[in-house]
Amino acid sequence: MKKSLKKKAWDIRKHILNMCIKAETGHVTSSMSCVDILVALYQGEMMRHDPKNPGWAERDRFILSKGQASPALYTVLADCGYFPMKDLDKFAQKGGQFGVHLQNSVPGVEITCGSLGQGFGFAAGVALAARMNRELFLTFTLLGDGECYEGSIWETAMFASHNRLNNLVAIVDRNYLCVTDFTENIVSLEPMEDRWNSFGWDVERIDGHSMEILLDVLGQVRSRKSTRPLVIIADTIKGEGVESFCYQPVCHGIAPKGDDAKKALAELERRCSYE
Amino acid sequence: MNNITQRDSFWNKVYDLAKNNKDIIIVSADMGAPSLDKFRTDLPAQFINVGIAEQNGILVASGMATEGKRVFVYAIAPFITFRCLEQIRVNNSMMKIPITIVGVGAGFGYEDSGPTHHMIEDITLVRSMPNLIINSISDSVMSAAVAERSCQMKEANYVRLDRLTLPTLYKEDEDFSKGVATLRKGDYYIAATGSMVHVALEAAEKLNQKGLNIGVIDVYTIPIHEENFIAALGGTNKLIALEEHFLTGGFTSAVCETLQDNGVMIPVKRIGLSLEQGYCYEYGGRNVIREHYGIDTDSVVEKVSAFLK
Repeated sequence: MKKSLKKKAWDIRKHILNMCIKAETGHVTSSMSCVDILVALYQGEMMRHDPKNPGWAERDRFILSKGQASPALYTVLADCGYFPMKDLDKFAQKGGQFGVHLQNSVPGVEITCGSLGQGFGFAAGVALAARMNRELFLTFTLLGDGECYEGSIWETAMFASHNRLNNLVAIVDRNYLCVTDFTENIVSLEPMEDRWNSFGWDVERIDGHSMEILLDVLGQVRSRKSTRPLVIIADTIKGEGVESFCYQPVCHGIAPKGDDAKKALAELERRCSYE
Repeated sequence: MNNITQRDSFWNKVYDLAKNNKDIIIVSADMGAPSLDKFRTDLPAQFINVGIAEQNGILVASGMATEGKRVFVYAIAPFITFRCLEQIRVNNSMMKIPITIVGVGAGFGYEDSGPTHHMIEDITLVRSMPNLIINSISDSVMSAAVAERSCQMKEANYVRLDRLTLPTLYKEDEDFSKGVATLRKGDYYIAATGSMVHVALEAAEKLNQKGLNIGVIDVYTIPIHEENFIAALGGTNKLIALEEHFLTGGFTSAVCETLQDNGVMIPVKRIGLSLEQGYCYEYGGRNVIREHYGIDTDSVVEKVSAFLK
């Protein structure tokens, strides 16, 4: 299963890249860094969900707080069967139902998102209501690391631990890059574990591209013996799979064109072949 | 309901409803009220204090609302609108998540607190976004009725409460679904909202002594219920619009837009705060501030008299 999930993650990356090249837009690198996390959650059955019934009351909620990773979530949802994969041919095109940022009109998508620092607080509200309603579902939310600059993230972090929202799981896609520079050059976000811990969270720091580790850590969240919310800081590479995009600032929010596109596709193909 | 603030009347009603409905939740940004003490004591599981964190307040409320909760988010008006405008825009305007945003201190309600606590731009901002209803409250009967209506609304609403105790204008059985009410009939009308309805009524009384028969229309819902508003004008050929708010894009602008869009081409005298006058560091009570801006009763009388000459 782990092997097939790894392959799936690479297939999804190829789809994302092709989709964004065709649309000439989309946040390719922000999507690439979180593909393994999404595949583990959705296809690795770490979340309870039903593509045939997106509004299933008992589903685990997934709140994508870094809304710019919509190409990744849309592709994963299509692969699960929430809607036909061919619908994504119209990504960011006239008459299509998908845009560069996340919108909740898409089956399986819980929120409209693009303004950072918001999905996390929304997720805390969902988790609190779930506890009030004695619902057993978990609420997962995926944050960008750059998103953690938003003050509202820390308002929510305090709130969630104070209210002992142990049904809330935040995953930080720690890809180290914002738009213009590496986070540690902009305003340092480290030491991230200490910061979250001091806000009252249980913290796991993992390799966000290791399917084995993702499945291992996510597989334990439902039986955690803790009253604290959990944050998984997933170290990732922004642009993972497309070598010329990795470790490069100012590759945010763009899709490669012309020769760059050919090069990117070749790089991804080569990486897939030896993975 | 004399001698009760709009705020206490509002929360008393919410308390009565919440006793029998565990899905009614108050999210407070460290904001209390005598009427809320009862709520906190008797219904602690339905009272969430997020601390002085309005952005998180709107987000948590919106998340809860999607899980079936009826949430009231409460703080001083500028902080629960401006401070978290982006959150309101995405969650409640864009996503249409129905919560009730309760802001206390409309206009110069926090009279001695200085300009950070004055709320004189909110109508402009909130009415610029789709799927949001402004309930601009003029008395405590209305605030209780709006509390009850808020529990059934399909869209988000912003309840703009005055801080001070104001005289009662309405009977208990008033139908507040109309959006406007004619409180006094006249040959000409002053359209006002919130606490300025009371200034309009006082001014109309004084103008009456001068031989001018002036009516008063309370416009308590924005966007304005156009048909009802035009009908309330009764074919008058001049109108005065009054607000304790900057004139730019505010209530009186909404009045002019309504007239224009409905082909009612009558002269309108707008009375409110000009941007040139800026923010207010005057102290000594609300009337001193109103005099400073020329929106107190006597200034209104003077301006209306000149306009109708």
